[in-house]
Parts: sequence; structure tokens; C-alpha cells
Amino acid sequence: MKTVLEIENVHAKIGEKEILKGLNLKLEPGKVHAIMGPNGAGKSTLSKTIVGHYDVTLTGGDIRYKGKSINDMEPEERALEGIFLSFQHPVEIPGVNNAYFLRTALNAKRRHEGKEELNAAEFLRLMKSHLEMLGMKSDMISRSLNEGFSGGEKKRNEILQMLILEPEVIILDEIDSGLDIDALRAVSEGINKMKDGKRSFLVITHYSRILDYIEPDYIHVLKDGRIIKTAGPELVEQLEDKGYESIEEDSAS
Amino acid sequence: MTMEERVAAYKEDFDLFPTANDKLEYIFDLGKKHTTLPAEEKNDETFVEGCASAAWLVGECRDGKLILRGEGTSEMAKGMLTLLLDIFNNRTPYEILNFDPAKLHEMGIIELLSPVRQQSLEAFLNMVYAYARKCKEAM
Repeated sequence: MKTVLEIENVHAKIGEKEILKGLNLKLEPGKVHAIMGPNGAGKSTLSKTIVGHYDVTLTGGDIRYKGKSINDMEPEERALEGIFLSFQHPVEIPGVNNAYFLRTALNAKRRHEGKEELNAAEFLRLMKSHLEMLGMKSDMISRSLNEGFSGGEKKRNEILQMLILEPEVIILDEIDSGLDIDALRAVSEGINKMKDGKRSFLVITHYSRILDYIEPDYIHVLKDGRIIKTAGPELVEQLEDKGYESIEEDSAS
Repeated sequence: MTMEERVAAYKEDFDLFPTANDKLEYIFDLGKKHTTLPAEEKNDETFVEGCASAAWLVGECRDGKLILRGEGTSEMAKGMLTLLLDIFNNRTPYEILNFDPAKLHEMGIIELLSPVRQQSLEAFLNMVYAYARKCKEAM
């Protein structure tokens, strides 16, 4: 089995509290992996651990991206290498123009890849084409990053960042929370547009609703800091019917 | 692309920007591709007289076309020079002499320039058209 991201026996804590307790997970290229689990299981901590968020201290285990350990890499280096996280709660940054922020991020990545930077007009063309697809208003270009955005606008803006940065491993932390049907559909469409048979997705969610749109290849159940079960999409139904208590731990986990 | 088409393409670019500031910033952005002249070419003859900041423009007639090269010293001059040379460089003198410089206003940025900078533009254009006339006479 090919893997693009391999998480091996990872232990991690936030403050003094151990949250991830020997977590194992492999992401395959071109596949959509969904992570489901009860509140407090460690889903957001997992996403933060992968991107190197400062809240999290990795206390054991290894995270390998394309075969190399990224444990000691800074978050921005991980991002430049193609790992992307859409935040559960995107941060508002007053005074930082959305288009300016995104263009700076994209050009940093292009420089890293040895590509020519996009000028402002080239970038705005790119941004406008995505805005339309996501059903976003054109004033998103000139507004401050996430400032005063509604919940749906913030999540669409995260997807916009993803579309523009074209990452290789895409982690979506509760991208569906607080979305109405139209926003959910637009967000899902954005995600599906990024599927190219090579990119991998790690979709963290509480609800099966978004999985109807983006069709995961694997469902992983995260409970008490470990993946206790991995199965195909059929597992969603069982979870919906009987809840997490019904899940029996895989012996291999 | 004809000169008119080039102007229309810039108009399309500038229309993307919601505010005057964004448009001006884009001019600065264009200036990043700005070229320079060797020291010996920066002399009284190539100096753009009346330009708000020092700028030089070299015009040479080659194979029936006017080859223009320039250098500006301020961010604005660098950006405007890059933009204008993209429109005027490597054209036959006929193309330039038949081009109405009033069309440059279609880009929607000339009126954003300060009066002093508009004069600079005028000075630049005078020099370009003088080079073009000279080039035509030499043919």
C-alpha cells in the first residue's frame, strides 16, 4: 500500500494533558480519509499535530510525509511542502486584506517550488474564478481576512485558500460545522474539484452529511486518542444507527 | 497584439482592482520587471525632460522598428515605464505615429496620476513620438 502521510504511534499533549495516545494512521495518495469520533477523542489535536501547531507537543512517535519525518519541521515549512489545514475556527485578522494575504501565501509557495510569482492581476483572475465557483461575493477580495465573515463565509474562504494553494495533503477540520445546505454544497464542490487521483484528504467530521457529497474511501474511528477502527464507507451507516459505543476495536490497531 | 489591443488588455487588468490604491499598487508591481540602462546611456540626450523623478529613454531604429529601452528611478516611474514600453516598444514608427495617445486614458489609470506625473507621461510621450518621427525619416 502506498502512503503519502504516515502517522506512527504518535503521542501528543496539549498543556499537560495527553490527548493522542499511540495513534496510527496512513493516508494513501488520491484517497479521501474521513475521521469520525466522539467529542474530546482528539480529532482536532490530530490535525494540529500533523501541521505542527504550537498548541501541541509531540511526545512520541513519528509523522512521515513522503517518506521523511516532519517532526522537527516548522508549520510554514510543512505548508510549503504541501500540507494544508483548514481550521475548525478560522482566525480573524483585521487590517490584512484577504487577496493580499492569499497572494503572499501563494507566491511564497511558488518561490519554494521554483515557479514564477503571480502578479496582482494574474492572481485576481485566479481568485475571481474560484470565488464564482464557491458562490462568494467579490467584496471578499478587498475585505480583511475573515473579519466579520459569517460562519459559512469563513469556511468558504478556507476552501478558497485550498483551491489557490493546491496542496497535496488536505486536512479539513470540521469544514462542515455551521454550514447551511448551500454552503455545504459549495464547499463540497470545491473539495471534489481538488480530487485528482493524487491528492489526499483527511476529513474530520461529526456528521455523515458532508460524506454524502465527498464520498470517502476510508472511515477511521478515533476514540480516546487512538484510531480504533478503519473500514470502508459502509461504516458510516453503522455509526449513524448505533453510535460510537457500538464500534469494536480492530485487533490490529 | 496591436497597440490598441495591448491597451485593452491593460484596461482589463486594471478593471480587476476595486480601488484606486489597488490599481496604483499594480503599477508598482509591474515595475518589478523594470529593466535598467548602462551608465553611458544615461546622458542629457536620453534624459526625459520634465519627468517628476529622473528617467531616461533610449530609442533606436532597427529593421524598420523603433526599439525603446528606459530606466526610471522612482517606483512609479519604473512601473509606468514598464507598462508604456510594453505598449510602445518594438513597433514600426507608423504604428506609433498613428496611435492616438489619448487612448491610454482607456486604461483608467492616467487620471489617478498626480498632475506632476501626468506631465511626466506627456514628456515621455513627446520623446517617444520624436524618436518615431526620426525613425520614419531615416527609412
